[in-house]
Amino acid sequence: MVLVLALGDLHIPHRAADLPPKFKSMLVPGKIQHIICTGNLCIKEVQDYLKTLCPDLHITRGEYDEETRYPETKTLTIGQFKLGLCHGHQVIPWGDLDSLAMLQRQLDVDILVTGHTHQFTAYKHEGGVVINPGSATGAYSSMTYDVNPSFVLMDIDGLRVVVYVYELIDGEVKVDKIDFKKTAATTHSAH
Amino acid sequence: MGKDRIPDWLNSSLWSTTLSDDDRLHRHSPSPTTSAAAASEPIFQPPVPVPPPAAASSPQSTVTSPKSELRDQVDKNSNDNSNDNDQNASSSGVSPDDISRQAQLLTELSKKVVNLRELRRIASQGIPDGAGIRSTVWKLLLGYLPPDRAQWSSELAKKRSEYKQFKEELLMNPTEITRKLEKSSVHDNDHSKSESSGLLSRSQVTRGEHPLSLGESSIWNQFFQDSEIVEQIDRDVKRTHPDMDFFSGDSHLAKSNQDALKDILIVFAKLNPGIRYVQGMNEILAPLFYVFRNDPDEEMAAAAEADSFFCFVELLSGFRDHFCKQLDNSIVGIRATITRLSQFLKEHDEELWRHLEITTKVNPQFYAFRWITLLLTQEFNFADSLRIWDTLLSDLEGPLETLLRVCCAMLILVRQRLLAGDFTSNLKLLQNYPPSNISHLLYVANKLRPQAAS
Repeated sequence: MVLVLALGDLHIPHRAADLPPKFKSMLVPGKIQHIICTGNLCIKEVQDYLKTLCPDLHITRGEYDEETRYPETKTLTIGQFKLGLCHGHQVIPWGDLDSLAMLQRQLDVDILVTGHTHQFTAYKHEGGVVINPGSATGAYSSMTYDVNPSFVLMDIDGLRVVVYVYELIDGEVKVDKIDFKKTAATTHSAH
Repeated sequence: MGKDRIPDWLNSSLWSTTLSDDDRLHRHSPSPTTSAAAASEPIFQPPVPVPPPAAASSPQSTVTSPKSELRDQVDKNSNDNSNDNDQNASSSGVSPDDISRQAQLLTELSKKVVNLRELRRIASQGIPDGAGIRSTVWKLLLGYLPPDRAQWSSELAKKRSEYKQFKEELLMNPTEITRKLEKSSVHDNDHSKSESSGLLSRSQVTRGEHPLSLGESSIWNQFFQDSEIVEQIDRDVKRTHPDMDFFSGDSHLAKSNQDALKDILIVFAKLNPGIRYVQGMNEILAPLFYVFRNDPDEEMAAAAEADSFFCFVELLSGFRDHFCKQLDNSIVGIRATITRLSQFLKEHDEELWRHLEITTKVNPQFYAFRWITLLLTQEFNFADSLRIWDTLLSDLEGPLETLLRVCCAMLILVRQRLLAGDFTSNLKLLQNYPPSNISHLLYVANKLRPQAAS
């Protein structure tokens, strides 16, 4: 039972001041084991805040991040799943499933987490699952102003993943979940 | 002497362990008493007889005791000692009286309806280690097994399945719980394989249950709140009896035993939100689990965890109030019990009481707290504490009363040293109680009963 928080595109302080209070009240330290962040935080203070929630923090670089040393892509293995992380502005067309699938095959991961579109999506294709946690602050994107704050919490348990989607719609937190099972155990050793 | 209500027999040097004797008095020594005994005769005939518990013997008769009773004493000693003493009559370390007591117990146990009074009487003299019956006797004494043998298998099956249910309900993590709840409304996940690509279907979260939920009734929230207690239980279990291979170390056996202890304590904590888990409960559970797990009957030993759980609950029920912080200062709390011990000592040995509490200002809380809350498991070696528990569990007056008498006897036995000591040396002595002859100790404790007071 490993809890992994996936979020990104906060754009603090340029486009948003902070996470919505209802989200902040839920995110308390001690519950989450890993945090993966797609990028565009943009400042170090946000990284420090995320670090207080959980010491195991992974970030990839978004185009507006002020910290230049985040990697472009990252892969990690949690339990039986290999996760890939990338901001997504590098993959064109932005948000296109086939192009993201190419990236997923390149990284050789089961779950690819990308952002940049500020819209929550979850796709499945033969190679695996592509998840976009959206923007945790609801910041506007290059494509649209109409953004609901959202983030994703994955509960990895053996070969099964339950993805909880948290969205702030009309001032209320709505939670949905998605079930996903992997067919075969990963043969690569964990790193 | 004889003033301050110390009976003559008690004041005799026979009853005290003095410094010179401690050198000879290591754990497996059969000789319980002082230089007088050692000088006069060969060690295996100490002049300390054990009277039958029912009879209240007068001081005179205890000193000049018949030979059979002397042998009783020796046999009790050999009973406690795991080493083979050359003083024993038989070479295997089991003496005639041991065998007779064992036979008595076995007879009692094989009856269709066990006579509990009789069982208690025999058990309070000690349950022979070799017979492997301690497990069954303790279960009877704690009321886990009914006296009627015919009901044993059904009772056991009932209780064990109850425990299994507790474990399933309470020890599941929230992921498993939600999966179980969903099983009722399952639609095959594999169907989604047919749609090899496309949007993943979203589904409703049942009853607002999600990992970050802050709701009071949320299983996730409760899980995170309980994780603190689970961590403390884990730490304490790892520290239980580090010198024993059964409990500690890297062996597979130790790990599985530790897991069992942990599960029992977690289930107990979850079922008792008022008292939860308090440090020290692991020490009370340990002897129970050890005895049940080492039952020669394989079936019983395999179910040791479930049996220990219920017996632990039963045993703790008499002492729960000692563990509740809010009750510390109340009539039933630990402070009140310690005061009772103090009063008890005052009644039986006022000189010692005065010297301890008033002259040297040794507050009984400094030593009696651990004695009482942990039922003397920390004061003696493991085998000795099992022997003491035989008496604690079987005595008709109840474990608490018996415990107080035993603690009082512990003080009286070292009275010479206490009377000669100051605050520091007395405290040191009482917090590291010297190894002593357990049968002797229990004999003195027995003499402190209200009806036997002389």
